[in-house]
Amino acid sequence: MEISNLGASELVSHLSAGHLTAVDCIQYFLQRIEQTNQSLNAFVNISDTALQRAREIDARRASGKPVGPLAGLPIAVKDGICTSGLKTTAGSKMLEQFVPPYDATIVRRLIDADGIVIGKTNMDEFAMGSSTEHSHFGAVKNPWSLDRVPGGSSGGSAACVAADMSPVAIGSDTGGSIRQPASFCGITGLKPTYGRVSRYGLIAFASSLDQIGPMTRTAKDSALILSVIAGHDVKDSTSAKNDVPDFTRSLEKPLTGVRIGICREHFDEGLDPEVESCVREATKVLESLGAATCEIHLPHTPYAVATYYVVAPCEASSNLARYDGVRYTYRAAATDLEQMYCQTRAAGFGDEVKQRIMLGTYALSSGYYDAFYLKASRVRRMIKHDYDQAFGEVDLILGPTSPTTAFSIGEHSHNPLAMYLADIYTVSANLAGVPAISIPAGISASGLPIGLQLQARSFDEGALLQAAHQFQSVTGWHATKPPLYQGPQT
Amino acid sequence: MNSVNESAKEARARVGFDQVTVVIGMEVHVQLATQSKLFCSCSTQFGAPPNTQTCEVCTGMPGSLPVINNQALQLAIKTGLALNCEIARSTKWDRKNYFYPDLPKGYQISQFDKPICGKGYLDIADANGAFEPRRVRLERAHLEEDAGKSIHDESSRGGNSKIDLNRTGTPLLEIVTKPDMRSAAEARAFLTELKLILVYIGVSDCNMQQGSLRCDGNINLHIEFGGQTIATPIVEIKNLNSFRAAERSLTYEARRQFDLWQQCGLTIDDSPKQTRGWNDAQQVTTMQREKEESADYRYFPDPDLIAVSTSEEEIAAIEEQIDRLPAIWREHLSEVYNLKPYDADVIVSQGRGLVDYFREVADQCGDSRIASNWIGQEVLRYLNESGLEIDRYPVAPRQMAELLKRVVSNQLEQTRAKEVLNEMVASQLSVAAAIEKLGIKAVDHDELKSICQQLIDEHPEVAKQIQDGNIKAVGRLVGKARKLNPNANPGLVKDMILKFLGI
Amino acid sequence: MSEFIDRAVVEQVARLARIHLSEQQLDASSKQLGEILNYVGQLERVTLPDDVEPFFGAIESVNAIRADEVNSSVDRDSILSNAPDSDGEFYSVPPVF
Ligand SMILES: [Mg+2]
Ligand SMILES: [Zn+2]
Repeated sequence: MEISNLGASELVSHLSAGHLTAVDCIQYFLQRIEQTNQSLNAFVNISDTALQRAREIDARRASGKPVGPLAGLPIAVKDGICTSGLKTTAGSKMLEQFVPPYDATIVRRLIDADGIVIGKTNMDEFAMGSSTEHSHFGAVKNPWSLDRVPGGSSGGSAACVAADMSPVAIGSDTGGSIRQPASFCGITGLKPTYGRVSRYGLIAFASSLDQIGPMTRTAKDSALILSVIAGHDVKDSTSAKNDVPDFTRSLEKPLTGVRIGICREHFDEGLDPEVESCVREATKVLESLGAATCEIHLPHTPYAVATYYVVAPCEASSNLARYDGVRYTYRAAATDLEQMYCQTRAAGFGDEVKQRIMLGTYALSSGYYDAFYLKASRVRRMIKHDYDQAFGEVDLILGPTSPTTAFSIGEHSHNPLAMYLADIYTVSANLAGVPAISIPAGISASGLPIGLQLQARSFDEGALLQAAHQFQSVTGWHATKPPLYQGPQT
Repeated sequence: MNSVNESAKEARARVGFDQVTVVIGMEVHVQLATQSKLFCSCSTQFGAPPNTQTCEVCTGMPGSLPVINNQALQLAIKTGLALNCEIARSTKWDRKNYFYPDLPKGYQISQFDKPICGKGYLDIADANGAFEPRRVRLERAHLEEDAGKSIHDESSRGGNSKIDLNRTGTPLLEIVTKPDMRSAAEARAFLTELKLILVYIGVSDCNMQQGSLRCDGNINLHIEFGGQTIATPIVEIKNLNSFRAAERSLTYEARRQFDLWQQCGLTIDDSPKQTRGWNDAQQVTTMQREKEESADYRYFPDPDLIAVSTSEEEIAAIEEQIDRLPAIWREHLSEVYNLKPYDADVIVSQGRGLVDYFREVADQCGDSRIASNWIGQEVLRYLNESGLEIDRYPVAPRQMAELLKRVVSNQLEQTRAKEVLNEMVASQLSVAAAIEKLGIKAVDHDELKSICQQLIDEHPEVAKQIQDGNIKAVGRLVGKARKLNPNANPGLVKDMILKFLGI
Repeated sequence: MSEFIDRAVVEQVARLARIHLSEQQLDASSKQLGEILNYVGQLERVTLPDDVEPFFGAIESVNAIRADEVNSSVDRDSILSNAPDSDGEFYSVPPVF
């Protein structure tokens, strides 16, 4: 069997039908990682118990005992998500040796469904970045072009799926960290509604924005994973109590009658013409599938990046205060307490993280709180209000995921603001809490993937996945693999 | 210039301490009596080995999240209701950011602008009339998590500090008063009454040794000087670990501020708020830090927690659970049981258990004054000496009432009755069994007659004095009667001797 | 230079955040923070109706509470094993002074 051509859903059915053992499956991907990781740096840690788990699951299935819906499926997990007994670093020197004594809720759910955590993927330090260049463990390369970034912060997760090192990866998205790397690497990435997936065990960047989601080849695979990880968690006060449908069931519904809004503000200056024409083409595809399109407005979009770069750093400055050298791994040499704090945090955090902590500390401090944090939170209300208005008229909002294709490694290293501005289309969904997906919609002339973003009403991931799946039923972009990593030729 | 200063100083020196109004406000941290911590399910039990009552949440491990303990909310609301506070229909959580090794997350989850309990008040009075009854207004009471414990190297060799996070995350209610107290004695009375209420309604054990109740005092002086009122700089005295320390430190501090003002004339506008500590050994306050480097706590709403709303019905249900408060009991014991305010206070201030004990004894023996005297003296002495609470006192109210009935009806004389009580306590015997064991029998009328006759015969000089009008001298004969027969009732002996002597 | 920040403020913020910055880093940080603040500072100029309440969290629901029940704590060794310095019972940190 040619595993490399199979997505998560197909792997699960072959495993279930006995065409494939979990051990063979895991071994295939472990071998792919072995071959590929050195050039991509997508994984920071490989599980040494994955094979053992695969044997147990095979044995269980062989003896006729029940197995979970993901039995034998390898899953890569972003290294900002806690795995009990398996090092979890968040891409930071600060947590270089941190071994959590507990599993994140989503990890527990994946394991309970008999999925197999194959390893931990590289990321921007504490998820702060859009390029995965800001990892203590080195930059991740884009499988489509090794001198390009894979996007970020879930760059390792995106690259590993694109390069066939894992059929599924879990990412986290605070301002686009699932969707933008999915777009740059030509895969499907879903940021669920805020509260849909438990954050328990996700190392916090910005608590009111962070959300965990699947990164897969297809929308169908994302539906499979989301159905397992979504749902209320008593350990997360911000997790929603809404029912979780089986997202795989509504995928085949035709798009007839679905209203799609084209966000006027997403086609402003700064958008790469190639990306624009690709998104226009995709719109036609969706129309041909029965969807009705119209133009809509999200008038506060021009303020979204500014709002995001106040709110997120404010929360981060507080969330990262716990890295003080007392309880977790890294501590700088010091003779007194103050010195320990200041030196530990100077040496344990990378420059981008320190910059954002400084920014957030400033924006919360007395005298600046009202003008920055409070004002940003009020503008945030307007951004949410824009969505409420728009979703009165349409079911989905369509636009590009990112204004450009993957940029070169080092391109923005001296201009963080330019990198921040590239988050323009993704941050609003986090600020408003709505779900959004990025799917492959084309390849640029220079051979880089282009992503299409769809956004939906809160808790209507079903609509996103349905539209994405319908699109993928008539297009082949999601099945196009990077030339470097097409797997063994048959 | 110098002479102007000198004359101002001389003028200040002429001001007496009686022209000073002491202004005191208190901040009290109360540990709420929950089983588990405020945001995780670790135990709050005191005294466990270090760092054994911790988990990923209360040690602030990356990725962990808080979930509010409903019981802490309920107890906070209950406290608020008992203290006449407005209860917030909707309350939220904020982060107070600062660095300290026993604060694992680098912030404390507290409440900034929407405390669970808003404005309220507490009335204080002194049973001895040491000060006029006063209403102390409460600013607010909010929920927050406790920090851990730092153990510093006291050897001054600069050794490392040790951190124990068992206490981290324990639910605290921080109660803040307005600056309404006018003396250290009032501050102490406030603390005493507050503690009593908290214990009465069962929201806290208020054990100060274990840190379940901690207080800080804010104090300054208002001085009438030169036709206006001058305020001295405010001082916060931190970590007062007993009510006695609170009273003494505030007394000391008022005098210190006055002396300092007379020396330098500094007012509230000249100096920022200062933090001082109480040195119990030397009985002085010492400077800890000036608040000008005042921390910038960067409060903001905790994005990991959502608002909690409480309905009218829920609040009413909690109000139902609050029984009579100490002030009501004092009134009740005075009015229904006819006790003097002082005696009522003695019983009420020992806690609800003693009030119930008293009521049962008084109801059954029929004499509330006797009941109050015996409980106020004999029972309390025993409880103080043994360190026990009334629920562990060996003599049940019914037995105590039996005993007192015999005292009231003169069947048992006070001294003998106390012996009986001691026996009941020691051997857990009933009244009858204790009397039997002590060999106390009622003395036969004939024997009593012969005892009295014998005493008159053997002490003619005393008999003469009595007949000459020194009635008090009969006491000497009564005392001797006990030697002839310890069961002889002194009252009866006295009556009979006087009768024999024709008086 | 930014209208929002100067070197002294950067120093004060670094102190609040407990991050040691060298002289060179202070200069670099002043410049970069200044640029970012100039950009996000545009929010000051956004006019909003007075009745617009801040939106702090993306879930607008209430009452996530738990019952007051004790569950076993995490084993001390697995908590302390992540600490850079401990004596097996306590975390250990350099003295305050
Ligand atoms: Mg406090
Ligand atoms: Zn805990």
